[in-house]
Amino acid sequence: MSSSPLASAPEGRPGLPGAALGGLALAALLAVALPFFTTGYVVYIANLLLVFVVLCLGLHIVIGETGQFSMAHAAFYGIGIYASALANRAVDLPYPFAMLFGALVAGAVGLFIGALALRMRDIYLALATFAFGEAMQWVFANWDSVTNGPNGLRIAPARFGPLEILSDKQAYPFVLFFCLLAIGFTVVVSRSRLGRAFRAVRESEVAAMAMGIDVRRTRVIGFGLSAAVAGFAGGMFGLFQTFIHPDSLGFQTTILVLTMVVVGGLGSIWGAIGGAIVFGLISEVLRQAPQYQEIIYGAILMLFMMYAPHGLFAFVGERIREARHGR
Amino acid sequence: MADLLEIDGISAAYGRIQALSEVSLKVPEGAIVALLGSNGAGKSTTLNTVSRLVPVTKGRIRFAGEEIQSWASHKVVSAGVLQVPEGREVFRDMSVRENLDMGAYRRSDAAGIRRDLDRVFEYFPKLKERLQQKAGTLSGGEQQMLLIGRALMAGPRLLLLDEPSLGLSPLLVQQIFAIIERLNREGLTILLVEQNAAIALGCSTYAYILENGEMALEGASAKLRQDDSVRRTYLGG
Repeated sequence: MSSSPLASAPEGRPGLPGAALGGLALAALLAVALPFFTTGYVVYIANLLLVFVVLCLGLHIVIGETGQFSMAHAAFYGIGIYASALANRAVDLPYPFAMLFGALVAGAVGLFIGALALRMRDIYLALATFAFGEAMQWVFANWDSVTNGPNGLRIAPARFGPLEILSDKQAYPFVLFFCLLAIGFTVVVSRSRLGRAFRAVRESEVAAMAMGIDVRRTRVIGFGLSAAVAGFAGGMFGLFQTFIHPDSLGFQTTILVLTMVVVGGLGSIWGAIGGAIVFGLISEVLRQAPQYQEIIYGAILMLFMMYAPHGLFAFVGERIREARHGR
Repeated sequence: MADLLEIDGISAAYGRIQALSEVSLKVPEGAIVALLGSNGAGKSTTLNTVSRLVPVTKGRIRFAGEEIQSWASHKVVSAGVLQVPEGREVFRDMSVRENLDMGAYRRSDAAGIRRDLDRVFEYFPKLKERLQQKAGTLSGGEQQMLLIGRALMAGPRLLLLDEPSLGLSPLLVQQIFAIIERLNREGLTILLVEQNAAIALGCSTYAYILENGEMALEGASAKLRQDDSVRRTYLGG
């Protein structure tokens, strides 16, 4: 019997072209060197962008991979922020333990919401998760004994053994490291057996069931993992922020993250990451004109839905391919 | 020969609408058994109760000696019951290769999986040519081939085929059924749901006819082909 030529067949991922590799290397160098040549403000923005990257990865897992809508990711993010801040204050352990705790609490709530979500689809699921997000914001603002309610919660500095993080520049390498960790985690999950099950469920539940996938379990796990990653982003936030207020954990944040993931390219990890960076920068610029911010988000989201439903990067990629083929 | 599948007086309902009432049928090991009937007679529902996508309200389903009517669908797949769902349910955004890999989702025997992949390519050389192509861009016939190939990747003992001829040209129908008969000759037991009664009675040994969720008629396929009422209703004269 001849051996299968498939054993060594490529996975269908074309290798990155040289230019893209060069660009990545440059970006990596820039990312590492950043704190040495810029101001604290720029580093602060970079930290924030990296947190948004992780938050987008979280949303990507549930929407992009399993195809379930969630309008509650600001809530999972907030749970992560509060849980890790409170854990950090309660026990004298290195900060990563607090982050892990935040991710676990958010993940547990995510599993619960995921189990409820089994009965719902599409717009109903979107509405239900929206309601949960609003409810959580209310909890953040009113559970005074735990969250300090509408006054906001002071976040104690993160500690790594003897090292106490007191500035954005100090926090940056850690934020970058945890962001890369989250990217690695998401890529590994996406390529794993579980990741295949996620996408199978997204494309056809009937076919997924016919292949022996436990669809209900897969959907719940997708929700839980997604919430845990969002909670982890919350823990990263506590690395460099000293204060959290419930106002910043509402629907606006959910919409921002949703926009990032959709505009970047639904279903693609790199789209989610790119969307977080591009849109995070735009949102920072728009801070100068807060009264127009939401109108502009809305307009961008609508335009992308209409003209580039596969996202910014797929859109640009297609244009480049067309130009190359002289069309 | 022993019965690989035995459905014993099952009923099923969608909400308050009774879809099946006390349906019984047997599929002997190594046979092709056809399940015929008009649209909405309950053919697909019957398959769906076996693959556990639709719950039964009454009755028993036995596969290889075990009662499976309360099992979860993924457990039934692990036991070797594979349904080829109706309506081109391929994973459209995945490549042909990824679709075939999904078929082996519940397996971990790498050598066996590779052997079955080679077998699938032997049956369907077209799939091998289109390995990296998105399944959604395949033609209807190729998608049907992929569906059967994907089910074969699970290493089934019993194949539940739901309308494999649907929407295909006569030539393609012939090709698909040639493969189905070959799979059967090589040892696979098949329960076949078809609207195309002529071709189903041609390749099966025994057939059942459903009407409004109840078993109306059964018999050896060769005999049913001669039966006047069957000819009138299902064979067009």
